[in-house]
Amino acid sequence: MASFGWKRKAGERVSKSVVQQFEAEAERAEGDEPGGQAEEEVDWLHAIKRRRELLLEDCAAKSKRLKDEGALLAEKGRHWEAIKKWDEAIQLTPDNPLLYEMKSQVLTILQEVFPAVKAAEMAVKFRPLWWEGWQTLGRAQLNLGEVDLAVRSFQVAIHLCPSEHTLWQEDLAWAWRLQKQHSATKEKIRQEEETKKQILNAPELEQDYDFESDEVLAACVAVAERQTRYEELKRTAVVIDSEGNIKNVVSGEGGSEDTATPSKEQFVKARGL
Amino acid sequence: MSTQYSILFKQEHAHDDAIWTAAWGKSEADGSETIVTGSLDDMVKVWKWSDEKLELQWTLEGHQLGVVSVDISHNGAIAASSSLDAHIRLWDLESGKQIKSMDAGPVDAWTVAFSPDSKYIATGSHLGKVNIFGVESGKKEYSLDTRGKFILSIAYSPDGKYLASGAIDGIINIFDIATGKLLHTLEGHAMPIRSLTFSPDSQLLVTASDDGYIKIYDVQHANLAGTLSGHGSWVLNVAFSPDDTHFVSSSSDKSVKVWDASSRACINTFFDHQDQVWSVKYNSTGSKIISAGDDRAIHIYDCPM
Repeated sequence: MASFGWKRKAGERVSKSVVQQFEAEAERAEGDEPGGQAEEEVDWLHAIKRRRELLLEDCAAKSKRLKDEGALLAEKGRHWEAIKKWDEAIQLTPDNPLLYEMKSQVLTILQEVFPAVKAAEMAVKFRPLWWEGWQTLGRAQLNLGEVDLAVRSFQVAIHLCPSEHTLWQEDLAWAWRLQKQHSATKEKIRQEEETKKQILNAPELEQDYDFESDEVLAACVAVAERQTRYEELKRTAVVIDSEGNIKNVVSGEGGSEDTATPSKEQFVKARGL
Repeated sequence: MSTQYSILFKQEHAHDDAIWTAAWGKSEADGSETIVTGSLDDMVKVWKWSDEKLELQWTLEGHQLGVVSVDISHNGAIAASSSLDAHIRLWDLESGKQIKSMDAGPVDAWTVAFSPDSKYIATGSHLGKVNIFGVESGKKEYSLDTRGKFILSIAYSPDGKYLASGAIDGIINIFDIATGKLLHTLEGHAMPIRSLTFSPDSQLLVTASDDGYIKIYDVQHANLAGTLSGHGSWVLNVAFSPDDTHFVSSSSDKSVKVWDASSRACINTFFDHQDQVWSVKYNSTGSKIISAGDDRAIHIYDCPM
């Protein structure tokens, strides 16, 4: 405590009376309570507050400059350099949603799918009423393969700004179709597993049978039927054609070729997002 | 009957995702009070309000892409709901069954509102048309054209004479229902109007906008009677108390505010929600207020009478 150094720093700029008062107070504080916390804290706060104000002004201006520089670099296709600029800007103004949103878009271009989602999440966290932030988040989530989350983000964006046509026609329609296709595939796998489980633990096998009766025959037929159903399910595949329609196709004779061609067009579209 | 504003009941986690809309109705048949909520999770839930508690009565499935708006008919028997997939569904509140599903066409259903005689449902569309559907027929009966932008909000005047619509560009249109004529176009706000409501005597129209202001209009003369500020962000919903003395507003600043209709002062602010409050309504007597929002909670407040 003895070497506490405000005096030196304040020096000539502070009037003598203030310094004396400060010292007296510091001494008194030390005297009454062992850390003298209360009053010292007040002075610390004042000192820091004034400095931060000065600093903040600089931060905002510098951050804006970095943001604009980054935007220029991104336009020229120098994506990583742009991100570096924006990261610096984020250091200065960590709560500016614009920076995160721009960063997310460029990360998406660079196929850095997970960081893109993280950046967009920050954007909507800081400005939850900004539909463009939600759109960018949805697009990033779609690239990551999180179709359900993407649909939700687009829904939120539309709810905030329903007059925006691109949201309806490009984003939501496309993500929703993917979601339907995805759930069709999942349903198929579920069915297949269900049938398989039934073959392994057939309810017919759990009964006691009188082996002379027809019941045994009926049970065997039921088990066999189930087996064929499973075989059939295994042979069919969910195929999504180029129009995005969902079909169940029995593969084997040329069916597998169909699955290779389907959604080329759509992949191209996804890249353009 | 309480003498001051207080929170009476909280239903946390009422839905699996943000609640976008709520309505409060009273059954003419048995006097029971019903609350209907719609959410981003695609569900419409019907709750009974009795003994100062909410009880879930029905979970209605069928909507896709999130439920944007719900309303209850004035006899309390039917609920209407609309979702982002542009379907309007009608539900029997007694049995919890779907009565009808109407496809309003792409992007053509947003806010739904029952007419005072409950024979029609009005909804806005993206081309600035107000489409009127018949409850019996389940078909579009006619439409009123504002020649404007996307219509976010719709309200019938309780006397059945007027219909008001609020658009995304801040323009308010008031129609005469009998003649179908556009009476007034008001350029009240420069930002989207998410909600508007008539006073029970049909003399005043209150509008809520993303600009953070609430405006009060004299319907007959189309005069601006007052502009109220107080919310720190978008005003998302407004509702008039049935006794004509107060109205309530909710905002994305997480607050619910009660305003005195004559002095136009905010007399109480509830700060109980954790997130944006999308919907706020009075019950049929004006003794309670319901609010719901992004925090998935339903709150019921007590009002002094």
